[in-house]
Amino acid sequence: MIKIGIMSFAHMHANSYAACLKSLPDASLAAIWDDNPKRGKAMARTFGAPFIADQGTFLRGDMDGVIITSENVKHRAMVEAAAAAGKWILCEKPLAPGVQDAKAIVAACKKARVGLGTAFPCRYALPLMEAKAQLDSGAFGAVYAVACTNHGQAPGGWFADEALSGGGATMDHTVHVADLLRWMLGKEFTSVYCELGNQLHRKTLKTDDLGSLNLEMEGGIQVSHLASWSRPKTFPTWGDVTLEIICEGGVINVDAFNQKLTCFDDNAKRVGWVPWGDNPDLGLIQDFVNAVRDRRDPAVTGVDGLCATEVTEAAYKAFRTGKVVKL
Amino acid sequence: MNVAILGCGGMGRLHAQMAVNCGQKVSVCADTVRPAAIRLAKEFGARAVNDPESAIMAKDVDIVVITTPTTTHEVLVTTAAAAGKHIFCEKPFARTSAQCKRAIAAARKGGVNLFVGHVVRYFQEFEALRAQVQGGIIGEPGWAKLYRGGIYPGAPGSWFRDYDQSGGVTLDCMIHDLDWLRYVFGEPERIYCQALMRTAPTQMDYSQVTMRMKSGLIATVIGTWAHPSGFKVKVEICGESGMLQFDSTDAPFRAEARQTAAGPTMIVPSNPVSVSPYQLEWQDFIDWIEGKSLPRVTARDALRAVEMAEAALKSVAKRQPVTL
Repeated sequence: MIKIGIMSFAHMHANSYAACLKSLPDASLAAIWDDNPKRGKAMARTFGAPFIADQGTFLRGDMDGVIITSENVKHRAMVEAAAAAGKWILCEKPLAPGVQDAKAIVAACKKARVGLGTAFPCRYALPLMEAKAQLDSGAFGAVYAVACTNHGQAPGGWFADEALSGGGATMDHTVHVADLLRWMLGKEFTSVYCELGNQLHRKTLKTDDLGSLNLEMEGGIQVSHLASWSRPKTFPTWGDVTLEIICEGGVINVDAFNQKLTCFDDNAKRVGWVPWGDNPDLGLIQDFVNAVRDRRDPAVTGVDGLCATEVTEAAYKAFRTGKVVKL
Repeated sequence: MNVAILGCGGMGRLHAQMAVNCGQKVSVCADTVRPAAIRLAKEFGARAVNDPESAIMAKDVDIVVITTPTTTHEVLVTTAAAAGKHIFCEKPFARTSAQCKRAIAAARKGGVNLFVGHVVRYFQEFEALRAQVQGGIIGEPGWAKLYRGGIYPGAPGSWFRDYDQSGGVTLDCMIHDLDWLRYVFGEPERIYCQALMRTAPTQMDYSQVTMRMKSGLIATVIGTWAHPSGFKVKVEICGESGMLQFDSTDAPFRAEARQTAAGPTMIVPSNPVSVSPYQLEWQDFIDWIEGKSLPRVTARDALRAVEMAEAALKSVAKRQPVTL
C-alpha cells in the first residue's frame, strides 16, 4: 500500500486527487496538511483522513509521497520542505509562477533524490492520447500548424490574486496545452508572442483573463493558443481543451472533454453538459503511485513543468515588450 | 443598366445572376479563356469577348464587374474609371494597398461609383451578431474569434496557388474577417500573423492572427486552406456579461445522398435565406448608383482591409508584430 499525503486544498483539483487516491486499491490517503486549518479539517472529514496541523509533524509522518495543491506561489517552499523530508512529490500545475522558482523546485528534488512530477492530467485524457497515437503512427505525416484553446470560467479567489497565483488566465490556461504539444510532437517551443489583458472582468478581477498566443516549435511548427477565463457563468460546462492539428496527411481535431450529455434542468433553470468517459485524473494519480513504488520520476516530470512555465513567462514578457520572445 | 462581366469563373457567374436579379442586363462576358466567356454569355444572352478592355469600352456597358485574379484589379478598375463606367470589384480590392489607392484615385477622377464586394457585411448571421453586440446584451466586448475556410481553392495551376498573385488565405479569405472586425469593433492597433503558405508536397495555407484593436479588444483570427474538404465559418464574441457563438457546421439544412454506383456521396449543407447576401450587396451598389443611398462598404473600407492583410503578411515575413 502506497501512502500519500496532500498538502493544501487551495486548488480545487485536490478534491479530485483525494477521491482518486481513495479509489485506487494500491494507494491510500495517509494524511492532510493545510496552512488553512479550517479548510484542511473540513477536507479531512470529507475524505476520512487525519488532519495534521503542523507541517513538520506531517512531513515526518508515515507516508511515501505528497501531492502539493496549494496556491501557485507557495509551491516552491512546500516542495523544498517535502523534498528535504525525502517524500516523492506530485506538484499541481503550473509548477511555479516563474522560471526561477520552477528551476529551484527541480533542483531541490534532484538534490534530495526524490521523484518530482507535474500534474498535467491531460496526458491521460483518452481523446488526446488517441491524437498522439495517430500522430505517432505516421498516418498523418508531418505536423505544420496547430490551433489550440484552453478556455474556462473565471475561477475567482486566489487565482485572480497575482500575489498568490503569479498571473491570470494566461498563466492558468497555457501550461496544459504547452505540455500537451511538447509531449505529442516531441519538440520544444522556440518563440512566443502574446496579447493579453483583463478583457472581460474589469469590475471583478485584477489579473488578465485572456491571452491570445502565437508560438513556434522546433522545425517551424506554427501554433496559436487561446488561454482564457472567457466562458460565461451560463456556459453549460467549465470550459475546454481543443486542438486542431494541420498535418501533411490531413487534419486532426480534438475536443478533449466533449464526451458529454446535454441536460435541460428546469429546477436549476440551467442547460448543462454532463460529462461521461474516463477520468484523466485517475491515470495521473495511478502513475504517481506507481512512480513512488518504483522509486522513479512520474511520467510527467518536474522538467516538463519547468518547460511549460518557460512558455508562460515568455508570454507575459512578449506582452510587456510587444515583441516576439525567443526561448 | 448594362453589365459587363470580366472574368467568367464561379464568381463571375454569381454576380451575373445577382445583376439580373436586381433588374440589370448582362450584355458582355469577357474572359481570356474563350470557352468560359462563351458559356457564360450564352447563359445570360450576352456577347462573348476575349479582351476585357473591349468589354469595358463597349458603348452599351454602364457597369463593369471585376471577377478576375487579384493582381489584375487595379488596371481594370483604372481603365473602367477612365471610361466612365461604374465598377463592382470582387474582394480583395487589390494585391497591395498602393494599387488600391491608385484605383480609388482613378474612380474619383473618373467620377464613377467603385464598390468592393465585402459580402460578409451582408450575411444575415453576421448582421445578427453585429446587432447583438451593438444591442449591448454581452456588455463591453473584449475578445472576438473568427475562423473561416476549408479546402484550398482553384485547380492545380490556378492563380490561387501562386502566393504572389493571391496572397494566400490571409489576403484572399481572411480579409472578410479583418474587414468585419474593423466594421464592428473599429480600427486595428497592431497585428501578428503566422501563415504556412506551403506549395510542396501539398499546397496548403493556414493563417493564425492575433490582433489588438484601438478599443483594446483582442481578436484571434484563423483562416484555413489546409483542410481536405468543405468550408466552414465560426465566430465567438465575448463581453463582460456574455458570449455569442455562430457555427456554420450547425446548419439548418443538410442533405446526404445515398451512395450509388454513379459515384461518391455528396453532402450539401446550407443556410437558406430568401435574399442572398450577394443580392443584398448588389442592391446596395445599384441604390448607390441611382443616388438613393450610400453603400454599407466603401472603397476606403476595402483599402483598409487590404492594409490589414498586408500588415499580417508583413508580420509573417518579419516574424514580429506590425503596428498599423
